[in-house]
Amino acid sequence: MENYDVVIIGGGSAGLAALKQLSNLGKQAILLEAGKQVGTKNISGGILYSKKPKNGRAYNVEDVYGPEFLKDAPVERRITQYMLHSTSRNKVFTMNLTSAHEYQANFGYSVLLNRLNAWFARHAGETAERQGGGIVSGVHVRSLAWEGEKTVIETDELDPFEAKAVIAADGVNSEVAEMTGARTKFTPEQLYQGVKVVVKMPEEIIEQRFGIGPDEGAAHLFAGDITLNHIGGGFLYTNRDTLSVGAVYHYDSLMNRPSEPYTLVNALLKNPMVAEYIKDEVAIKEEIDKNLPKEEQLRIRFAVSKLIKNWNELRDTWHSPAARKKLVESGKYKSTEEIKARLDFVQNELADKYRTKFVTDYVELEYGAKLVPDGKRCAMKKPYLKNILFVGDAAGRGVFVGPRIEGLNVGIDDAVRAANAVARAIDRNNFGPQYMGEYYSESIEESPYTRDMKEIDKDYLKIFLDAAKDVPKDIIGQRYGMVFRPMSSGTLRGLAVGFANILGYDKLLPLIESEDTYVQVPVELAEKMGRPVQATYEPTLPTVAQRVARLKYDDDRASHIKVLNSKSEFMKKMVTLCPTNCYSMEGGDVTLQHEACIECGTCAEETEWRHPRGEKGVVYQYG
Amino acid sequence: MANLNIAVIVKLEPDFSEGNVSYNADGTLNRAETKSILGPHSAVASNAAFYAKVRYGAQIAVTTMGPPIADTALQQAQLLCDADELHLYSDRIFAGADTLATAEVLKTGISKIEGKMDIVFSGHRASDGETGQTGPQTAWKLGFTFLGNVIHYDVNMQNKTVRARRMISLQGFYDVVEEVEAPLPVFIAIDPSYKASFNTVSQRLAFEKYQKEAKTRAQDYKQYLKVFNAQQLGVDPKLVGLPGSPTIVYKVERIPKAKASRKAEVVDGISREQVAKVASKMYEVLEGMVIK
Amino acid sequence: MKYQHLYVVIEHEEGKPVPVSLEMLGEARRLMDGYNKKYSADEKVVAVVLGHDVRKLCEELIFYGADAVIYADSPELRYTRNLIDTKVISQIATNKELAAKFSDASGFVKPRYMFFAADNIGRQLSSTVLAELESGLASDINKLVIEDLVIKHEHKTKGQPEKYERTLEMYRPDFSGFLWTTILCLDNRNPAIEREYHPQGCSIIPGVFAPIERDDKRRGAIVDYLPKFDERDLRVKIIDRKIVKSAVDFDSNKAIVSFGRGIKDSPEENIKLVAQLAKDLEAEVGVSLPISKKPFSVSEGTSSTYMIPDRVIGTSGRKVAPMLYIAAGISGAMQHIAGMKEAGFVVAINPDENSPIKDECDIFIKGRMEDVIPLLLEELRKRKPAIKVRK
Repeated sequence: MENYDVVIIGGGSAGLAALKQLSNLGKQAILLEAGKQVGTKNISGGILYSKKPKNGRAYNVEDVYGPEFLKDAPVERRITQYMLHSTSRNKVFTMNLTSAHEYQANFGYSVLLNRLNAWFARHAGETAERQGGGIVSGVHVRSLAWEGEKTVIETDELDPFEAKAVIAADGVNSEVAEMTGARTKFTPEQLYQGVKVVVKMPEEIIEQRFGIGPDEGAAHLFAGDITLNHIGGGFLYTNRDTLSVGAVYHYDSLMNRPSEPYTLVNALLKNPMVAEYIKDEVAIKEEIDKNLPKEEQLRIRFAVSKLIKNWNELRDTWHSPAARKKLVESGKYKSTEEIKARLDFVQNELADKYRTKFVTDYVELEYGAKLVPDGKRCAMKKPYLKNILFVGDAAGRGVFVGPRIEGLNVGIDDAVRAANAVARAIDRNNFGPQYMGEYYSESIEESPYTRDMKEIDKDYLKIFLDAAKDVPKDIIGQRYGMVFRPMSSGTLRGLAVGFANILGYDKLLPLIESEDTYVQVPVELAEKMGRPVQATYEPTLPTVAQRVARLKYDDDRASHIKVLNSKSEFMKKMVTLCPTNCYSMEGGDVTLQHEACIECGTCAEETEWRHPRGEKGVVYQYG
Repeated sequence: MANLNIAVIVKLEPDFSEGNVSYNADGTLNRAETKSILGPHSAVASNAAFYAKVRYGAQIAVTTMGPPIADTALQQAQLLCDADELHLYSDRIFAGADTLATAEVLKTGISKIEGKMDIVFSGHRASDGETGQTGPQTAWKLGFTFLGNVIHYDVNMQNKTVRARRMISLQGFYDVVEEVEAPLPVFIAIDPSYKASFNTVSQRLAFEKYQKEAKTRAQDYKQYLKVFNAQQLGVDPKLVGLPGSPTIVYKVERIPKAKASRKAEVVDGISREQVAKVASKMYEVLEGMVIK
Repeated sequence: MKYQHLYVVIEHEEGKPVPVSLEMLGEARRLMDGYNKKYSADEKVVAVVLGHDVRKLCEELIFYGADAVIYADSPELRYTRNLIDTKVISQIATNKELAAKFSDASGFVKPRYMFFAADNIGRQLSSTVLAELESGLASDINKLVIEDLVIKHEHKTKGQPEKYERTLEMYRPDFSGFLWTTILCLDNRNPAIEREYHPQGCSIIPGVFAPIERDDKRRGAIVDYLPKFDERDLRVKIIDRKIVKSAVDFDSNKAIVSFGRGIKDSPEENIKLVAQLAKDLEAEVGVSLPISKKPFSVSEGTSSTYMIPDRVIGTSGRKVAPMLYIAAGISGAMQHIAGMKEAGFVVAINPDENSPIKDECDIFIKGRMEDVIPLLLEELRKRKPAIKVRK
């Protein structure tokens, strides 16, 4: 049996950071990823932060990957504007939270994980190969067992092999955690369900629309009536030439009154302000005259498709300085004006010759969903079991407090700590829980992120309250009374925060994370103080079937999920809550059709939940 | 240090994928408008060769007979199998060759590759010519044992033998999976369903390493390319090209449309009522109630 | 005459002839009867059998049209191994003494014509045998004519018209299924490259020709041949043989649902619909020839399950005769029709009423499959509980 010092399970940003760090430290490490390639099963909101906390230190992505990262990692845009909008029908009240976003931050970049993780994989993989390790993809771990000191890993694809240490970076639905009994599955109160769509938008149109420069980006958050009375909110991030638009809600709020995830994201897309943000120009083919000879119909069909493809490509190029430059340099066009001229020509040709219509609508590229662990409620106290260290989502860790949404950076920080602990263990050849696990656990305790998962950061609170200073006291005061009124006063704030910390997150959270905060207050704000917004068109929203049709899958004939009790109340709710409608009622039973599964884990709690075998299942293009 | 020498025979063929293929109005292929790529069966053969590189560190040469643009096929093959050498046999006198004449060129070329060949791979057949004859005939001229429809193989480096599993389908009977053992050298025509599988972590890592190497090499493929004309190859001109071909294409004609053998009832596909009638009819047929 | 007779290489499994063997004999019989009449000759249809303890088979072959059977019996020949089979067949083909046993073999060098089966074994065997005999081969033939031809060819006849008598015209359908390419194996009469090429060899597509009716009054010679083996020839060892269930089973299903390029607007989705329809009808899924060339981009699983040569129905694939045949998105190229025209009841789903399949089906559902199949599925399901489809 082959034997390795350390095996990392899961090729997300955390797993890859662990691989890079271990390799940086000169250790041989193997990373196993179930997807055919790294990045195909990852999805994030998302923004990647790098932090410089006042107390303690955070291990940031650029620490792990070096100056290479800032030089050429495929991040999208550096977020320079951060807005919170309260919505009610066609009224919006906006608060500028940019200072909150910049709190103790070096940067925040919008990201698309398919390409970012692929970049991480390339770099981590190369470094790992120099140490005799590397990334093995298309492999799904089926079981872990201990034989004496060693851990035997069985997968669906490979002969079994041994590891001395394991880093479990396999996400919020960690199969490693479940198979080894390291922790129980997370319950709805401990989770958020996030759903998003990636929207196409040419580069310079984004910049015009959002009032940002080529090196800038905007992040918009939404609360109010778009939440359909659920606890959570919407987000819209600008990427280079796409937008990430989605919604994140408390899973238990969704369980109380189930709403389909696509309904929730649709509510956001229909909001007039959002609709205006996401709109673009779309070419609509005209119906071909059926009376024409068949050859002629074919010819027209082929010609129109080709021209529309051409038009889209030219348009995207025209709106991107880098693409324009490249095209001119390639010699295909002599100048950028020529590109525009050609674009206009093609558009006119389509309109005049083929009666193609150019209308306003939005273009959706990809639909996806994932569960997010609420670090405040479910972070593993001791994130290890024997010689297995848990990082990131797998350990239930992430910082989600109001508008502060941090998962990727927490995972990376955890990963570095885990890698350091393992490297130390390799040096001493001691992988026992006291030497390695405990060391890791203590290191995690020291992480500033862990503190944020346990206590309210009063400086952050101050910034947030300052940003909210325009909010009328009466709207807030009525609702939060005793506890929060003092917080509006600078002098009493320190005391109030201290008091709040004594009460603890678990007492305060029901207050903060409530319908009041996410629904009623924003709605009232918008109604009373919001400005009117008008949508100039109605976005054509795809059905869930169309969204699923656009996703790519590699189907494994057998289902990877088993329904345990087809008549339970929980499963009945899955019929509504599964983002891709995999569950339906037949007779009195809930039945599963697994082909459209995007492996979010919404149904994990009461099913025998597994990822599909290696390479099988959903293949995200953007993530 | 190669303890295993491998050659792969590939062919440049029309790209049949939608968007790249062009058909004439009468359904025949419009070759002029269709792109050319490494044939799909040649690709599978390249994958099979790559297995040997990953598992045994084999040295691989990819060969093809064709016009100068056939070097594209060699490049694409190199990407798949991290070939160490690419050989193109190209000469006007090779044109018009039938399979026997082609086999003569290939056999001469392969015999000239440095090192004694242990295994020569070819695809099951070409996707345009589809005779499936060139592989076996080349094997015969080389004097190598021919194994066809191979779905799996392993090499015993000590005994210098190969163990292969073959998929033999006997139409009208059943399928047989046959396990054979043969001493090297062998000629393997790989079955279209062949999938290389690498079952240990170390093999997977080696796979990645050689794949990366393949990408680098293929970008600069001309470095690895040797082109041979007839004289350089040293073939007997009487045995190659048209002169060396026993068979010729005499004529090409449209297969005549047979007279209509049935009279169809036309039904509107979006009329539920009419589709319902078809559904009933289908079950009647299956129940054996309808006798035609 | 140097070149005489038509040798037919027979394939069998443990003494049971593979159907195409009898079909080849049938066509050989018809051709040679015509040949002998036209040329006032007496050349024979000679079956060549390699095997062990399969004499009974030889007798049957005579009843199915062979004038003579050359039978090489050896335990080493029980299962096909290309290397020794090629050598033994070549020895037989060039052996004058054997020919003398059933004909006036003075001057005999090699057979005039040679037939093989166009299945995997036969196609590979025909290639190596013809390479050994240094002559020409055309594979996948579905029409044969013996003719005297006048040929003008740059190389073979140095541009001069030459009469080639008793030439076998070998017709093979091309990969599109629309064209017939006629192949000839001709001597080089050009003095610069003078050469004789015999036998004229071909491999024959299963299911195209019909066997003759079994006639147990036919008589013929069974000639035993003791094969000579070189020690080295026996180096290929068969370690194991396992009969496996074919992944694709057209024969034990009452119904077949096939799809063609009509899936192209959303290939993955449409294939799913077809698979669902097949599942509901307990049918096997077939494809048209172009699909096996993987023209559309679909997921790996779908591609390796459906877009494979084993599912092709037509002259270059399988011939099927189910009770119910459904062709979705198939235009009806000749070679596909040839593969399914024996079906009991044919339903076509196609938006184009002018497609050739309309003349080959009993019900033509006009519409796109993405519209029709969901509707059809609903209606089938409504009826399913009442009627059980018996296997």
